[in-house]
Amino acid sequence: MPASMTLPDLASATANSGVRSSALANWQATGWPGPRVESWRFTKLALLEGKTFAPAHDFADQPAGAGMDAAESIGAHVLRFVNGVVDPSDIENAPEGVNISALAADEDAMSHLRQMVPPAHPVSDLSLAVMSAGIIIDIKGRVDMPLMLSFEGDGATTSAHPVVFVRLFEGSYLQLAEWHASTAGLSAPLTGIDIAAGARLEQVKVQTDGQATTHLAATGVTLGAGASIDGFSLSTGGRLARLETHVCFAGEGADCNLSAIYMGRGEQHQDITTYMDHAVPNCTSNQIIRGVLDDRSRGVYQGRVHVAPDAQKTDGQQMARALLLSRKAEVDAKPELEIYADDVVCAHGATVGELDATQLFYLTSRGIPKDVARAMLIEAFLIDTIETISNETLAAILRPVAQAWMAEQETL
Amino acid sequence: MTALLEIRDLHASVGDKPILKGISLTINPGEVHAIMGPNGSGKSTMSYVLAGRDGYEVTGGDILMNGVSMLEMEPDERARAGMFLAFQYPVELPGVGGMSFLRAAVNARHIEAGEDEVDQLGFVKLVRGKARDLGIDDAMLKRAVNVGFSGGEKKRYEILQMALLEPTMAVLDETDSGLDVDALRIVSEGVNLLRDPGRSMLVITHYQRLLDHIVPDYVHILAGGKIRKSGSKELALEVEESGYAGIDDAA
Ligand SMILES: Nc1ncnc2c1ncn2[C@@H]1O[C@H](COP(=O)(O)OP(=O)(O)O)[C@@H](O)[C@H]1O
Ligand SMILES: [Mg+2]
Repeated sequence: MPASMTLPDLASATANSGVRSSALANWQATGWPGPRVESWRFTKLALLEGKTFAPAHDFADQPAGAGMDAAESIGAHVLRFVNGVVDPSDIENAPEGVNISALAADEDAMSHLRQMVPPAHPVSDLSLAVMSAGIIIDIKGRVDMPLMLSFEGDGATTSAHPVVFVRLFEGSYLQLAEWHASTAGLSAPLTGIDIAAGARLEQVKVQTDGQATTHLAATGVTLGAGASIDGFSLSTGGRLARLETHVCFAGEGADCNLSAIYMGRGEQHQDITTYMDHAVPNCTSNQIIRGVLDDRSRGVYQGRVHVAPDAQKTDGQQMARALLLSRKAEVDAKPELEIYADDVVCAHGATVGELDATQLFYLTSRGIPKDVARAMLIEAFLIDTIETISNETLAAILRPVAQAWMAEQETL
Repeated sequence: MTALLEIRDLHASVGDKPILKGISLTINPGEVHAIMGPNGSGKSTMSYVLAGRDGYEVTGGDILMNGVSMLEMEPDERARAGMFLAFQYPVELPGVGGMSFLRAAVNARHIEAGEDEVDQLGFVKLVRGKARDLGIDDAMLKRAVNVGFSGGEKKRYEILQMALLEPTMAVLDETDSGLDVDALRIVSEGVNLLRDPGRSMLVITHYQRLLDHIVPDYVHILAGGKIRKSGSKELALEVEESGYAGIDDAA
């Protein structure tokens, strides 16, 4: 595939009469969500207002980032993005069962993607229009080699708009890792994940973007009959980060585990927003969210579970817990159930707490220094979430990131 | 000879409420002292003050270990200096694996002493050996700290920690409570094994029966935040017969 096919630019969106030009028109009409938009009430994008970003359109090589090391440690095939532009050499030599093609050339695929991703989300429009890179990853059969999407880049006024559409064909299986370690001003990845009947995806996302980066990720997932996804995000990076995921249950018997850990310190703002659209009967969704917030950082969890009138026997669970390490840290948790069917099992909950002083005393009374004791208790708070990751290979790249965050704890 | 622990006219408050009202006590190396007293007399408060717990404010007096005041030391510093408290109510730590907890505690000492960290395999062997003596099985060692332990198991686990940490000053707060006769015997044997000319103990109990097993050199009666009476081990028997009623705590 010629590299130029993966590098469409804004001009082509403007010239085009198709999906991207309509996305562009939408973006131009709405822009960043204002303070009165309900779903952005807890996460304000004021720091983006009036800022001009220049999207990158050419691949510029850089020294390899941490995502590349993580990929190597688990023997993954890597697709490397620098400022949202994919390394053309990585789209060659895809492993058996993986086929990569250009998204911009496929109007039907773009239109399908657009229906899946979060509607009325600025990135759903903006990144589709700009599309620093647009690729389709088709999966057939069981792919044993994990796939790593590594996102790097830099430049305070650079924005990255990678668009990735992963399509798992019937009965296929994939392990997908996503690693963000960019210091660009804006990371705005748009992702569609279409999991056909009986297919299964195991996925982790590590978000470690720079302390000045705004990371806005919009992801749409569709699950066919009997399909399943085990997804896990760990978000520690960015000045402001919002990971928004919409899941649509399109076929019966589908199963979705979508858990996340967010960690903030300094002035960071971490947002996890999810929407589970139980449109059909007999599906399960389970979300475990854990947040750790230090200093003046803020956390947001918005989780909405929608159960349509026909979606009987839905099992929808969401449990969010946050641990505040400082009196100035704050969290807004808003788990919501919208249930229109009568025969369902749904539960939600949200708790906020601090490190337990008695537990800390017990540990320190054994000679364990206070900072080590705190790290042990934070890890204990996160551990059962990390243990929900069924895939040990993927869990292995995630644990060190959480541990590194705790190791950076200032000694009190 | 410098006393291992010297408590000088100690006054302490919890949330502005005075609890300890002038305690003086000298414990020499190798001695075992018992503190007896009615519920609410301040026994646990004293143990927490010795260990340095936040919120237990010393308002007067001093605590010296080997001649050095401990008042400005954090709980972890006191522990590494040789202080150990077996809790009356050991604390559950969900998500904290038992082995990594024990290793962190032992390693903290090694690191401070500038020694190598403990070798993992050797450590597991060491823990298993000491655990077996206390009737602690492998399954219990693998669980999260104190989570799902019975009352007796928690007490045994406290003594296991003491055996691993080899403190010079061990404070045992009602280690006998919640133990049946057999468990009491096992725990007491564990404690007696640790009696050593270089190690002192302060054994806090409400009942005399523990002192049949861990025989003290001295017995003190605490009531109303003060030591009312001190004597030899026979004092414990006296209290057992006449109860605490005879101890004047109006003073
Ligand atoms: N955290 C606390 N806050 C307020 N009062 C306390 C606290 N802990 C203990 N006390 C009070 O201190 C006194 C002594 O308690 P404690 O030391 O637990 O006695 P003992 O161990 O001898 O039964 C009691 O009157 C108790 O109510
Ligand atoms: Mg007590």
